[in-house]
Amino acid sequence: MRKKRREREEPAIEVSMTPMIDVVFQLLIYFLVTFSTPDVLAHLDISRPAPDKSQTEQRTPPKMIRVNIYENGFSLNGRSVQIEELASILGRLAEFSKNQTVLITCAGGSEHARLISVLDLCAQTGLSKISVMSAN
Amino acid sequence: MRRFKQPDGSINMTAMIDVVFQMIIFFVCTVQLEQEAISEWIRLPDSPNGPMIAEEKDPRTITIEVDGQGKIFIARTRLSEEKLRKVLSKTVQDYGDYGPSIPIRIRADAAARHTDVKRVLDACSSAGLYKISFIATKDKA
Repeated sequence: MRKKRREREEPAIEVSMTPMIDVVFQLLIYFLVTFSTPDVLAHLDISRPAPDKSQTEQRTPPKMIRVNIYENGFSLNGRSVQIEELASILGRLAEFSKNQTVLITCAGGSEHARLISVLDLCAQTGLSKISVMSAN
Repeated sequence: MRRFKQPDGSINMTAMIDVVFQMIIFFVCTVQLEQEAISEWIRLPDSPNGPMIAEEKDPRTITIEVDGQGKIFIARTRLSEEKLRKVLSKTVQDYGDYGPSIPIRIRADAAARHTDVKRVLDACSSAGLYKISFIATKDKA
């Protein structure tokens, strides 16, 4: 008797689950497909000599480490080196003092990845005073 | 109580499902807005030893992108060199004394030529900006 009355007052709402499960699965699949963990990024800080100052910069004090980047090679203080050699020499120079300025001169035609690889070496060895100049 | 409970004691799920779907839609929309600002076709060079980027960045930070062909973008908008110079010097002027200390992040493609990166560097230094850093990939996900 009691049961009957309740049924009449509030009939049980039957929520049909099937469409909802369909939609939720679609969403799940969408997220699985589009999911990609973001890459961990690094920042390599440089300083850029002002354009007018670059003229006076030619008289560089000998304390400076001068790295040149060409399209197909590197040179350190005027001597052409391979990247492995550059890494070891920079490591030894950095043991000396980490306060030395590294003056990187990059040739216009060289790839950006090469500049980044040199900046990465500087970060690895702990040299942090870096200025980047551009040669044409 | 009667309004929320079914006769057999179970809870009516409809209202909750409505709210949960609203939340899902909200998050989907906001995540896409956040990613809008960078161009994902740029292949960043690797720098396994570089210092990791800080989680919270200066809100003034300007990210400038250079793709493999040497095109310059800010927030996916292509800019010519003159336009970039104008935008940067205008921004620096608007910030007044704090202008030159705006951090600049350069996301340049690994295959970009240095000449094209140089254009961005020159535009930054002629606007008086000195906090320049390059972005590279530390760890591939």
